[in-house]
Amino acid sequence: MIGFPKILHQLHLFEEEGVPYAADLDKARVVELSTVMLDILKLAETQTDDAIVETLSTSYEENNISEAFERFAELEREGLLFNRGEDLERSLATESKWRKLLVVIPGININSFFDIETLSAGTNIALAHMIQHLTKYADLHFTGSRNRKIANGVYEVDIGIGDLVRLRSKIAETYYGILTLHQEHDRWLLPFYRHPEFPPILVQNHAPRGHGGQAINSMLRHYAAMRDYDGFTAPSDYVRDFYSQYVWDPSFFNTLPNGVDATLFKPMEKMVAKREIAAEVGDDRIEAVPTVGYLSRVQSEKGASVYLKLAELNPYLIFLIAGPNMGRYASRKLPDNLVYVGFHPRERLPLIYNAFDVYCFMSMSGEETFGLTVLEAMACGVPPIVPNFDGVPSVTGDAGLVADAENFNHDVATLVSYPCPVDFSEKINTLLNNAEMWQAFSENARQRALLFTWDKTARRIVQLFEGLHQKKKLANPNRLLNVFAPIPPIEQEAKQRLKYRALVLSMNAHYERCLMLDAVYPLRVEDGVTLSILKNHTAREAEAILAALIPDETQARTTLKRVRSLIDGTA
Amino acid sequence: MLSRTRYRLKQHHKFEQDDQKYVVDLETGDIVQINDVEWEILSRYESQTRHQIVEALKKEYKLTAIFDGIERLERLGKQDLLLQPTVENLAARSLHPYTDRKPKLLVPFHFTKEKSALDYITNLNRYQSLKHLAEFAELETLAFPEEEKEDVPDLDEVRVRNISRAKSDTLMPPWYAMDGYDGILLLSQFLTDDLSYYRIPDVPIVHCIEGDRRLQHVLLRTLLTLCAFQSSKDTLVVKASWMKAWLAELGAPVENVRVIPDGIDIVELTSDKALTKQHTATIFDKPMFVKQPAVGLISGFEPNRGAAWISEFARTNPHLAIFVYDAMLAQHYQHPPENTIIFNADDEETRAVLPVFFQALDLVCFPAMPGTPLPIVLEAMAYGTPCIAMTKYGMPREVIGAGVAIEAEWDHFGNFHVPMVKLSEMINKWLQPSDARTQCQGFAKEIVQRYTRKNAAQVLIQVFEEGFQRRTDNLRPARALFPPIFCRRYEPDTGTLRSSVYRLETNRYDHLETALAEVLAQGHTSAEVASVFKHFQQESSIPVCETTRAGNGFPDNNRETNPTGQEHQ
Repeated sequence: MIGFPKILHQLHLFEEEGVPYAADLDKARVVELSTVMLDILKLAETQTDDAIVETLSTSYEENNISEAFERFAELEREGLLFNRGEDLERSLATESKWRKLLVVIPGININSFFDIETLSAGTNIALAHMIQHLTKYADLHFTGSRNRKIANGVYEVDIGIGDLVRLRSKIAETYYGILTLHQEHDRWLLPFYRHPEFPPILVQNHAPRGHGGQAINSMLRHYAAMRDYDGFTAPSDYVRDFYSQYVWDPSFFNTLPNGVDATLFKPMEKMVAKREIAAEVGDDRIEAVPTVGYLSRVQSEKGASVYLKLAELNPYLIFLIAGPNMGRYASRKLPDNLVYVGFHPRERLPLIYNAFDVYCFMSMSGEETFGLTVLEAMACGVPPIVPNFDGVPSVTGDAGLVADAENFNHDVATLVSYPCPVDFSEKINTLLNNAEMWQAFSENARQRALLFTWDKTARRIVQLFEGLHQKKKLANPNRLLNVFAPIPPIEQEAKQRLKYRALVLSMNAHYERCLMLDAVYPLRVEDGVTLSILKNHTAREAEAILAALIPDETQARTTLKRVRSLIDGTA
Repeated sequence: MLSRTRYRLKQHHKFEQDDQKYVVDLETGDIVQINDVEWEILSRYESQTRHQIVEALKKEYKLTAIFDGIERLERLGKQDLLLQPTVENLAARSLHPYTDRKPKLLVPFHFTKEKSALDYITNLNRYQSLKHLAEFAELETLAFPEEEKEDVPDLDEVRVRNISRAKSDTLMPPWYAMDGYDGILLLSQFLTDDLSYYRIPDVPIVHCIEGDRRLQHVLLRTLLTLCAFQSSKDTLVVKASWMKAWLAELGAPVENVRVIPDGIDIVELTSDKALTKQHTATIFDKPMFVKQPAVGLISGFEPNRGAAWISEFARTNPHLAIFVYDAMLAQHYQHPPENTIIFNADDEETRAVLPVFFQALDLVCFPAMPGTPLPIVLEAMAYGTPCIAMTKYGMPREVIGAGVAIEAEWDHFGNFHVPMVKLSEMINKWLQPSDARTQCQGFAKEIVQRYTRKNAAQVLIQVFEEGFQRRTDNLRPARALFPPIFCRRYEPDTGTLRSSVYRLETNRYDHLETALAEVLAQGHTSAEVASVFKHFQQESSIPVCETTRAGNGFPDNNRETNPTGQEHQ
């Protein structure tokens, strides 16, 4: 038994050469039916299993009906014919008025984005905030395996990764854009760039490097394959600029800063916060002695070892650590002035930040691009000290101190930086020994943090999609026809040595005259190769080829621009 | 330029639901949403040609929409949806399509520029060729009379197809050539709009190039370019074997280059040789043509160098009466040596008298090089006169058995050199009666049977048939399901970027030049692809060796990489 009645997908039933079929328009798949299956489908939305059996028992053997039920059960498991989950069509029809974005992040637990407590990595927390605020500007449909409403404006839809290509026309009609994450090991996205039907794809990029160059190479592959109207987001100008050095068209990288919930993260009476934490961990020194704070996973990559050194260098200060646990450091003899304050739910984090007099961000990871906790500390009026590393200084601006760090272009395991403990120590003492300066930084920190809102982030995403749509309108097919031919050498040159050239016809692939006067126009071979490549490959791929073929990069870039202008100008 | 990939329409079912149109691929089980024009195209795809589809739909839909629709469906075909790339059965195409009728050939005409660029004899030959070809083929040309103007009448044997186009119809003439022709005969000697006909899939093209002296300056460029334009169904016809040898020497692909000499017209011998010598002497007021051996020199020389060479030749051989046939020097070389007359047939009258001079000759000399008019050589020999070919490529096959060769040097800049003393010795030897000379005279007389206009026309038709049979060879390879992704590759050891290619299907990087050749081969002939790589070899920028700094200040002390390194296994 299968549990009829069921909501059917949008189906078209037809026969071809005597065989009945159901065309499932929601899945863009056709299913071959038997006649009994066809008759069951006609009753499927209104009758129960038993009623169907009874109705059809005069026409079919019972075992035929049972087999049909079993086949339907299989098809349902494959997501075919029957609506899985809620009747989303109905709720969308009544609720939806926004542009819709399709969010494609394979392997995620969608629910976690709406239960931030379950998230630990800053990237995921940022993503969750961004998604929640994005619902003010667009409906979000997460690809998944059933239809359901998750929150206002947020749905899971029964579209699997494997369905995307088949459903591309429907996706193009339904969605304003596709939002996804760049994950360096994933390859699933690359083939999708080949389909012009898909709406613009915006790929969030969080990790600029690391893993022996694999992150960079993955990004370079995506950059090459992307259509003219796809793009990346980068959490900071630093990350955008970092990638821009590897490519000719940095417009594919768009800064999308994170935000902070300034109503949650706000300054409190510092002594109250300190008292509460002191009471909680049973250490009165927190109230009496200036505190330095660290809020992160307690791991080497996050600078935990360096932070311990800071504590040793400054025995007269209290160094607080807030994190899920002390990890491997728990088995070590720690400095006496280092106090682990435990793991706290998100709504308690403002209290923790407010118990810090200074916030130290020590990350050495090759994947550090923004420093969300820095922004949260700033929102609480806590002056941050950050290493001169990656995108973090762009968050603090003039509202914090930037300490020296050794940065490495080559990964050392997963580390790409080493924050200087001495300089951090000096800057901590400078801040804590100058009340006026501390006050100024505290106020600046709060004011600067107010500039970073999740609402801005969400609006920026919508703007980016609008920009990509603009680019889509400007994109032109390459219909020019070209050939390569030898040309005779001139007399002064070595005998019998042919030169080569390309020629472009004045007639295009649609048999239209697209260039006036001459029948053919000579081009440099480099231009011809570019023209040929741009027929089925992107300008970024042509970039890679020209970079190899033409030693002078300026000349190579000019070639690409010139040929693209020819294509656009004759489109 | 390559032709298109062909597709077979797969078993499918079309339907409409909620104002949307869909088609089901019953072989894959996929459903594709299509628009109105794609719906119409699918209805016609199996039974109509692309041309017929567009013509049928263009009143109702914009041309771009129709072409876009065809392109989209064929793009789906590359993904094995709705259409399936197919290769025609070789056995099924072994016969030409016109067994019970004459083949229908399109002959685009725009002779205004050409007529003035070619000499009288070449123009005459072209006219005669068409006239004889019309015995074996239906010839048609296109005309596009402006609205409210009268149709263009037929041109002798060539029927004119008048096409009235709406002003909004921007399709160029090659579009109309896709409709109902078994072949296209191109006669243009310049790189004109005729080149666009090469875009037409499936229809064999035969392009005849004359090797006229007046076009010598552009000839090589034209030939090389046409060789590049050709696909396997097409044939480039040159009029003398030395032109093909010349192209081969230059490394041009000559697989589809055919040599079809023009046929010649010979008037009956009207008198004996002594009388024709007398006539020649009288006409030119050169009594030496009666007294001295007469040698004909059919010139193909570059004019300035030719004048110098002829002077030297005349000085070295004062005992000869020299008759030079040279279209340009006859006009411009005012004071040739005393023992030399220079002649050119440039109208009906001069053409009519030419056989008299040829019958007066005792020996014919010619440089076997582009610019030397083979029909004139053949005609000069046809009265039983042996020849000496000054040649770089061995005895021209057109005159084998009718003379001897002397090795000459020349380049395509007009520089020509032959050992003059040796040439004089050979001339003197061959002027003497001998068995060899008698035998050659016999062969020479047979020329007239071998090079008839009828034969030339028949061979041309045969070339079309061969092109038709080769026409499916030019199918471009179907694109891979996952085309290679050309990208830069960051090498952390060196901090450099290297251009590479990523293969999604294997998750590996590959050699850039391998993939580049693959991609170029989808739209270009192998000769074109070779041209590209030869160019870059000459430019010394071989792709695979290239690395580029990332511009990030990273050290660049180690450029060794593993080009096929695997990612993320």
